Amino acid sequence: MSVSRGKIWLSALLPVVLLAALLVVFWKTSGGLRFEAAAPVEQIAFERIVFKPQEGGPHEKQIVAHIRNVGPEAVTIAQVQVGWLNRASWEFRVEPSPTVERLATARVHIPYPWNTGEPYEVVLFTEKGLPFSHKVEVAAATPEFSAQSLGAYAMLGVYVGVIPVFLGILWLPFLRSLGERGYGFLLSLTVGLLVFLGVDALSDALETGAELPGPFQGVSLILMGVAGSMLLLSSISAAAKRRRATAGGEAPLLLAYLIAFGIGVHNLGEGLAIGGAYALGEIATGALLIIGFMIHNLTEGIAVVAPIVRARAGTNSESVAWTHLLWLGTLAGAPTILGSALGAFAPSPVMAVLFLAVGAGAVFQVVMEITAQMSRRGGGIPGLLRPAHVSGFLAGLAVMYATGLFLAV
Amino acid sequence: MRSKDWMRMAAVLGVALILGAASLVWTAEESPAVRAEAGQTEVPAAGGHSGHHRPPIKGSDRYQYSYPGEKRLAVREVFDPVPPAPAPAGQKVHEYTLVLEENREHEVAAGIKIPAWTFNGTVPGPVLRAREGDLVRVKLVNKGSLPHTIHFHGVHPAEMDGVFEMVPPEGEYTYEFVARPYGVFPYHCHANPSSQHIHNGLYGMMIVDPKEGRAPMRELAMLMSAFDLDRDGEADFYAWNGKAFQYADHPVDLEKGEKVRMYVLNIFEEMMAPHIHGNMFGLIRSGTAKQPHELTDVVSLGIAERAILEFQYDFPGAYMFQCHFSEHMELGLMGWFRVGEKELRAGESGEAAPAAAVERSRARGGYAAAKGSR
Repeated sequence: MSVSRGKIWLSALLPVVLLAALLVVFWKTSGGLRFEAAAPVEQIAFERIVFKPQEGGPHEKQIVAHIRNVGPEAVTIAQVQVGWLNRASWEFRVEPSPTVERLATARVHIPYPWNTGEPYEVVLFTEKGLPFSHKVEVAAATPEFSAQSLGAYAMLGVYVGVIPVFLGILWLPFLRSLGERGYGFLLSLTVGLLVFLGVDALSDALETGAELPGPFQGVSLILMGVAGSMLLLSSISAAAKRRRATAGGEAPLLLAYLIAFGIGVHNLGEGLAIGGAYALGEIATGALLIIGFMIHNLTEGIAVVAPIVRARAGTNSESVAWTHLLWLGTLAGAPTILGSALGAFAPSPVMAVLFLAVGAGAVFQVVMEITAQMSRRGGGIPGLLRPAHVSGFLAGLAVMYATGLFLAV
Repeated sequence: MRSKDWMRMAAVLGVALILGAASLVWTAEESPAVRAEAGQTEVPAAGGHSGHHRPPIKGSDRYQYSYPGEKRLAVREVFDPVPPAPAPAGQKVHEYTLVLEENREHEVAAGIKIPAWTFNGTVPGPVLRAREGDLVRVKLVNKGSLPHTIHFHGVHPAEMDGVFEMVPPEGEYTYEFVARPYGVFPYHCHANPSSQHIHNGLYGMMIVDPKEGRAPMRELAMLMSAFDLDRDGEADFYAWNGKAFQYADHPVDLEKGEKVRMYVLNIFEEMMAPHIHGNMFGLIRSGTAKQPHELTDVVSLGIAERAILEFQYDFPGAYMFQCHFSEHMELGLMGWFRVGEKELRAGESGEAAPAAAVERSRARGGYAAAKGSR
């Protein structure tokens, strides 16, 4: 037995060992292949442009470009130009080193007297003479990390994430007064809201993902995020139901928490985007946008509490404790705070794409869960397609669309 | 949920809202937008009297206008701005060999090396010089992979014009003509596509002296061109003599009172406007007159146009010489004259800088050609 097990292990490891040996040989000798690129293949991605009002003195404003080498080989930054009406060669300093290894990052400090509100372009030339440029439409001082600025971005998160969700939750007593048909409408409305959210998050993820440098494989990242969160949440939900062994499989509070989690992850991604856009000065109509998000996200509160509206009518559950509501709202809304602070001070497009995808997957999982529950309650597909349900779903989409009109970014 | 619970939650939310508003008031005191504007107003007006502010331009290593010799990044090899001395009277034949190479490494700006096409290994090619009426023989040795030519400006027979007479790879051809008239001329490859052959570096300057020569002066030859590294139709670097900022990194040393004759040629497909600071120059357009006909400090040169500028500095110090198109200047078409204190005695304004000036220049890391370097 042990011999055959050894053989099995050998057969499993042999290809790996041989591949490793082949790689070593290939690395040393190129394996007889002679590929020489006709043109230098270098790729530099701009991850962030920071405008510093002053450093060391009033005459020493700075532009700092955060870059990543996303080409196949190390690159060396040899010259820097800053474009305004035209480009101009400028002095610069690269930290930690002008030579940037593959996938490594660097900061290019440019002592340039930039002005608020003007457009600028940063151009980096490698020693092989390839220019890489990034345009900033409107320059504005990038917020620096401090307790106060952190507080400001936390407040931004509270405004666009936490407050609207809790306001939505405050509708709970009203929702409880709904009759059976009204409840069906409410659940369908929630499904509509969530589908809209999911599609919205997915499209944002695809948009940002397409801009990611090649090595980060934006679309594959989204696939992993969506599939991972859907399957993980489904598995958790199934395990919880098995343990409770509730006959009908109805666990309203669990479903509420799942929805809250999905919306929370979605809001984390949304917060990253909002905080980042604020920090980069890309949002012209700040106040209007915040108002828009407050109205838009109000609906998320309804979605969170929809499953527990009928909790009292459930088989054995008492009324849901108010602390649960606090937790639900916090789970759904508070990630926006984290997101907007991270987006402002440590923006990462990769992180934003991943969270948007995870959020989309989570939301879609919840949609399946609610739909399955409605189907069990109301007699399969024909039951799902009652007028109250169809109109509720469409109303959910319409509400999201209408409130989304405020979000003219 | 009982209504009491609901009331309790509403109360908690209310308190949270009040706390939030309070923290907002606190944070609003230093919101990013407010701070940015504050930063603007703190900057004092130029020439402000607060002594601790360094002036932003000269004397600072900030904002590009480094004081001569203070650049951190400098081109490694400088193109010699001093043309060959005029041929001695009586030398009737002037022979040159130009070896043409493709994809030779050329440092177009500090740290950036591009594959250039070169005559004798440099961009621009060497300055050719002859006296009016003398015979000029230029042998082209083509070490490239494409056919090439040399097209000279000036008066000569059709078969010496370098347009039909392609010199194949590994081939040679000797152009032979009588230099006339006197003046400043471009030479460049005229193989098709000419735009590519010229842009890649196959160009240079030829000086034809009047029969009786010109008055001896300190001489400089400055060719203006530009380089489009990514071939997007917009030049990325502009340069005096092929390397952006090379005479900013390595200033040209002159002496107070020293008479200077600068030969200038534009070989790029844009208008250029050579301009010297703190001074006026006597202008000889195309170099086809013996005496300046205009006193100015800037002249417009279209493509292939050229001129002689004659001047001398009355005050010591650093003076910029640039193309007056700001973009050209900001992308490399600028340099410094560093004018030394040494008062020249009348008649001493020779054709090369005094040995002492050369020594001083070397000590300061600047550029000055040694006497008789050719």
